[in-house]
Amino acid sequence: MTKLIRGTVGLIALLFMTAINLQAQQRTITGMVTDAESGNTLPGVNVFVRGTTVGTSTDANGRYELTVPADADTLTFTFIGFEQHHELINNRTVIDVALQPSVETFGEVVVTALGIEQQQRSLGYAVEKIDSEELTAAGDQNIVSAIQGRVAGVQVTNTGGAPGSSSRIIIRGYSSLDPGANNQPLFVVDGIPISNTTIASDDTPRSLSNRAIDINPNDIASVSVLKGAAAAALYGVRAANGAIIITTKKGQAGDVAINFKNSVGFDRVNSYPNFQRVYGQGFSGVHDPNSFWPNWGPKISEVRANINPDWRYYEIWRDAFQTGVKIDNSVSVSGGSQLATYYGSVSNLMHEGVIPFSDFNRTTVRFTGAIHPSDNLSISSSVNFINSGGNRVPADRFMERLMYWAPNKDVTDYMKDNGTMKGYYNDGGSGTNPIYDARFSTYEDNVNRVIGYTNLNYNFTDWLSASYRFGIDYYSDQRTNITPGPSGIAGENALSSTGFIREYRINSRDITSTINLMIQQDITEKLSAELLLGNDIFDRNFNQVNAFGNDFVTPNFYNLSNVRDISTSQYLSKRRLVGVYGDLMLNYGDFLYLDITARNDWSSTLPEENRSFFYPSASLGFVFSDIVDLPEFFSFGKFRASYAQVGKDAEPYSTGITFTAPAQYPLNGQVGYTRNQTIGSPNLLPEITTSVELGTNLRFLEGRIGFDFTWYKANSADQILTVPISNATGGTRLITNAGEIENRGIELQLNLTPVQTADFLWDMSLNYSRNRSEVLSIREGLETIFLGSQFGYSTGDASMYLVKGEPFGNIYGSSYARYYPEGEAPEDPLYVDKDAPILIGPDGFPVVNTDQLVLGNALPDWIGGIYNQLSYKNVTLSFLINIQWGMDVYSQYDNFFTAFGITEITLDRNEFRVFEGVTADGQPNTQRVWLGQGVGPDGVDYGAGFYRNTYRGVTENFVKDASFIKLRNIKFAYSLPASILQKIPFRNVTASVSATNLILYTPFDGFDPESRSGPAGSNAIGFTGLDHPGVASLIFSLDFSL
Amino acid sequence: MKNFKSLFSISAVCLFVLAAGCSDYLNINTDPNNPTEAPLSGLMTNVTFETSQGVYSLGSITSYYVQYLASPNPASPTDIQDAVSYGDTWFTFYDVLTDLAVLRQKAKEEGATEYLGVAKILTALNLATVVDVWGDVPYSEAFFVETLTPAYDDDQQLYNTIFELLDGGIADLQAGNSTVDLGEDDFIYQGDTDKWLRLGYMLKARYLNHLSKTANYDAVAVLAAVDNGFLNNDDDAQVNYFEAYRNPWANVAIDNAGLVLGGWLSEQVVNHMNGTTYGVFDPRIEAFTDTTDSGTYVGTRNGDGRGDAPPAGARSVLTVNTFYAAETAPILIATYAEQKFIEAEAAFRANQQTRAYNAYLAGIEAHMDKMGVDEAAKDAYLTDPAVAVGAANLTLDHIFKEKYTAMFLHPEAWVDARRYDYQYQGMEVPENLNPQLDGQFIRRLRYPDSETQRNSENVPDVTLLDRIWWDQN
Repeated sequence: MTKLIRGTVGLIALLFMTAINLQAQQRTITGMVTDAESGNTLPGVNVFVRGTTVGTSTDANGRYELTVPADADTLTFTFIGFEQHHELINNRTVIDVALQPSVETFGEVVVTALGIEQQQRSLGYAVEKIDSEELTAAGDQNIVSAIQGRVAGVQVTNTGGAPGSSSRIIIRGYSSLDPGANNQPLFVVDGIPISNTTIASDDTPRSLSNRAIDINPNDIASVSVLKGAAAAALYGVRAANGAIIITTKKGQAGDVAINFKNSVGFDRVNSYPNFQRVYGQGFSGVHDPNSFWPNWGPKISEVRANINPDWRYYEIWRDAFQTGVKIDNSVSVSGGSQLATYYGSVSNLMHEGVIPFSDFNRTTVRFTGAIHPSDNLSISSSVNFINSGGNRVPADRFMERLMYWAPNKDVTDYMKDNGTMKGYYNDGGSGTNPIYDARFSTYEDNVNRVIGYTNLNYNFTDWLSASYRFGIDYYSDQRTNITPGPSGIAGENALSSTGFIREYRINSRDITSTINLMIQQDITEKLSAELLLGNDIFDRNFNQVNAFGNDFVTPNFYNLSNVRDISTSQYLSKRRLVGVYGDLMLNYGDFLYLDITARNDWSSTLPEENRSFFYPSASLGFVFSDIVDLPEFFSFGKFRASYAQVGKDAEPYSTGITFTAPAQYPLNGQVGYTRNQTIGSPNLLPEITTSVELGTNLRFLEGRIGFDFTWYKANSADQILTVPISNATGGTRLITNAGEIENRGIELQLNLTPVQTADFLWDMSLNYSRNRSEVLSIREGLETIFLGSQFGYSTGDASMYLVKGEPFGNIYGSSYARYYPEGEAPEDPLYVDKDAPILIGPDGFPVVNTDQLVLGNALPDWIGGIYNQLSYKNVTLSFLINIQWGMDVYSQYDNFFTAFGITEITLDRNEFRVFEGVTADGQPNTQRVWLGQGVGPDGVDYGAGFYRNTYRGVTENFVKDASFIKLRNIKFAYSLPASILQKIPFRNVTASVSATNLILYTPFDGFDPESRSGPAGSNAIGFTGLDHPGVASLIFSLDFSL
Repeated sequence: MKNFKSLFSISAVCLFVLAAGCSDYLNINTDPNNPTEAPLSGLMTNVTFETSQGVYSLGSITSYYVQYLASPNPASPTDIQDAVSYGDTWFTFYDVLTDLAVLRQKAKEEGATEYLGVAKILTALNLATVVDVWGDVPYSEAFFVETLTPAYDDDQQLYNTIFELLDGGIADLQAGNSTVDLGEDDFIYQGDTDKWLRLGYMLKARYLNHLSKTANYDAVAVLAAVDNGFLNNDDDAQVNYFEAYRNPWANVAIDNAGLVLGGWLSEQVVNHMNGTTYGVFDPRIEAFTDTTDSGTYVGTRNGDGRGDAPPAGARSVLTVNTFYAAETAPILIATYAEQKFIEAEAAFRANQQTRAYNAYLAGIEAHMDKMGVDEAAKDAYLTDPAVAVGAANLTLDHIFKEKYTAMFLHPEAWVDARRYDYQYQGMEVPENLNPQLDGQFIRRLRYPDSETQRNSENVPDVTLLDRIWWDQN
């Protein structure tokens, strides 16, 4: 891995050198560069021979001297904040030029709430923008993954490498503590909020998609990330976690442009644990080709020598996976005139995963048009149709079956001639083959979705305008889950004794309606004001019908009419929100900006008396560099501050106690009822987050160095929590207002342009952020809130709890008991004490402490990204390094690996050991014990052996540092030069090759430390599960435009 | 500035209109998926059905402890008496106890004394079952979300509650002025309140008899309850399973036939019946399992796994051809046969040898009738010298031995095993026994993770060797 880093550094150095050595010397030109407006001389201006790297920059007096090749014909002058200037040489030796200031000095425009384009300099809060080129560089098909590593304060977690699998995005930490609460930002496309729900499967995790995956990244022009409550206050409750504002590509007046983007990519598993290859099937060291136990037998070599010469080891963990393939094609057409513009695109993605028979396909069609029938009126409209889905092989089950599979049997030989499954013992009669299961036990989803909007804008006068926007996001999600029953062949090893078919029909419809009125007034010469008043309405209708059929009558015929036992269920849900808001923006002298917002929401999900809630925000932007005399190198400085509140409502139907008829009824014509396990509260209040943010933006050397710093603190109180409660209370979950969490952190962003010449440009950006959380209070009467747990053998399971005074993300479980001399106690009784000696029991083995102690924390200490783009003439190299540091994870894999003797750590199974630690009397342990199973060489019966008796039952063994440094992507692109393009009918032809998700460093031994099996919607984040292994991809792309 | 003012007033008017008009638009939060009230009959259907599910759920654990069943895999956690968290089983009982609490409340409000009486008897039954395996459990602060961390009541105190519930249920059923009549919604007795009344007494006898190791034991009181209990096998409390919803043991048998292995009979129970241990063949074994491919009965040693045996054909397993694991087989909750053995034990302890002996023989006969054993085979067994020992020679060992057979797969068998200190002939701790047990048999279940995670302050700190209050040395 370090080799790769070294290689990358070397490459950069090499590119540098080339740039310098390319200078050739023929004749000398001198001159002076001035500011066209003020007449002042300009130091530091870049001067180049156009089309070469021959160049220099002006000195303190604005003078330059440049030796140019004989054939040079044009000089190019570039300077931050000024328009680029080309000057023909025409045999002159003295060339003076005056540069025009560019229209917007540091005036980067960002799109903020409600689609308002605002100059970044005016904002009192942090907003970050990513443009299309950066987003699509890695070839991510999921817009959420594409944001990973690019923005400070934003943590993206992939749930594995399955095709179409979901990615979780969290901005500035977890603000809602509820295990199922939505902590993800609102996704807004061209002003229309869209659904980013992940509807998980109701059985095992199946890597289903988050619905933002339906957006074709190639349609996106730019993305703004609104991080704080202030930025999101105008979208109301649904943007309480921030907002991802997506602006799609639009047509431009002028020529017709046609763009083709084509790529083919290959996936492979990017990291494997270290498997032991010595011991095979059996138990207690006894060879047994018909044993359930895959790895507790004798040495494979011994069996081969003494019992069965054909006994061998298969690399089942590598054999079971294949090379994934993804093919992505899209074409777009855009153009227009002064009167109307249009943009249309069609795309198709086909992705076959590394797990055999897993796939995801997506087809999108988009059309956006705008017309301007008069000077006052503009109308734009867009419709986007998406079809997506695939076969969702459950990675958890696939991996679990690999766990049980004996490495002495070929896992790819999964089917007998008669089409039935070949297991791993009893001549194939027992044991489930993961590949057979992936092929025949299917779960296919098929989403048809339409997202559309119409937007009207009317300017009444030069100070008053109005807009109305109506948007719809409708999708149907049809899912079919089939597991075949026995096919009726004697002695077959069936996947299920009955087989089943499950049909899911999901319909979701969101309507949004937004009216805005905008007023602009200059109040005095220096003070101007803009006022925005608006109303928006959100209306969701969700309807899911499920039909489950069990026990097929005719084998291999999968239809609901072909089952002996059928049951149906339905889930309906409605949610409505009405909001009224105002936003007053004051601008004093273009250096002091004050922005005040106020909003009132009414939510259908809260009790009538608590339904209405109000929240304000205020933010201040102060460009001090405009009024303070700063040194020459200090180009720009801004200070910003904001205070904001934002509310959150509840999930529908969280306010009552209800009864439900369990699925087995009717029986004998009777329907039984049971009280619902989830108990609502009739007096729920909205959850309110109050946040404070301070920040500064500084730029030096005419913007070649940019620095941005933000500090924030957000307190989320009156949390609406679904608290797991003791079954003895009469329920398993209670929905209640409980507690407060504080998130605070810092974000740093550094932008550099280390080299800027006519042909060579090096842009670099670094971001760093850290977030700390603390649970300030939880519900009275509750000491802890249980967030979730993951199975581990024996007492080796792990849990996540919320505990007052502790951070979010703590992982709890059993540990090795520690020894304390009489009268001494651990420093913090809640945390495992790694410094204290381990207590060894009278049997010579470590004693297990099953009290639930904190063993680690699942949230990173900090995250960072380093993005570099180097362009030399027509060649571009870009790479993004992503770091998530200081995070722990409970590795369910390791629990299984040791319980089943699969990894290298269990190689000492037939050795003696004296465990390091002390006995109950405080003396160092000296007892020698055998780690194996059964009666040891010392005549003592060790039963199931150390790994099964002790090791697998200690959660502490499996909570591991999952920090990583990844080369998120590296891309090398070549565009045809203009000289060639002139001779062919293309405007642009670019070929590129990129690689993604290469692990550069991690202390984690196993599959990709990033993968998590839970769906993106879940907040129990500290467990790997038997997740889908991460994959690395190699992608070849060819883009061309007409 | 004038423009601002007028706009503010317009928006104020808008706000007012919105606030008034949006109320109807937003009044949509009544759950369309679940009703807020459940009828008495719906609750009755569910509590009777779920009570039988609880018997199965617990029986699927305890049957390994008493060695009716053994795992085909070595060192399987339940089989070797590991400290497993049986959260699903705990949930099943607390779910039905909650519905019973709701039913009692609602029946009382509506004056439905038949429902109230039945609900009290079923509450006693389920509560006692929970206490018998976990000891101290929440009850007095449970069921109505009054506290989120209900206290654990003392197990001995809970036995008083159990007897109060049984007496109360008996009184309600005797009151005879119910506003609503029990009917087909009752999956146990289809509305026959006389049988419910007799079940009340039968259970009283069962739980009084649990106290055999304590100073509180009163054999005469047990016999008095028996006198008001079941009259014959027709009184058996059971839920017959359905074409549309199989007996859960049938699922075990079907899965096993599909080589998802489970439901293998222990060597202990097989030897108990096939003549190995007692020299007499018990014809009821034919109702417990099929013969193996070799035409015999072969059990599996607990904790040891099946060794070289293939997954099918070589060992005795539950199948859908048997009494207990047929698809529509009943789950037996309380039987006349069990009552006869309770009577035999109490009479024996009260030195009423003849009554004890007669009850012992009647218990065997009742269970044989239940299993459909033919007269000839029944007579052969009942007259075998190993069985027909005569009143004078009858010992507790005989009674426990025969009750063990009659309680096949039932969790009561574990109560008996602990009262009897696992002294069944030939019974040994499993191979690969959980090392925490230090060579001894398990005495209780570990509290489930759901409790240690959500109610940690109240959960008692116990080991698997700590005993339930009635299980004294």
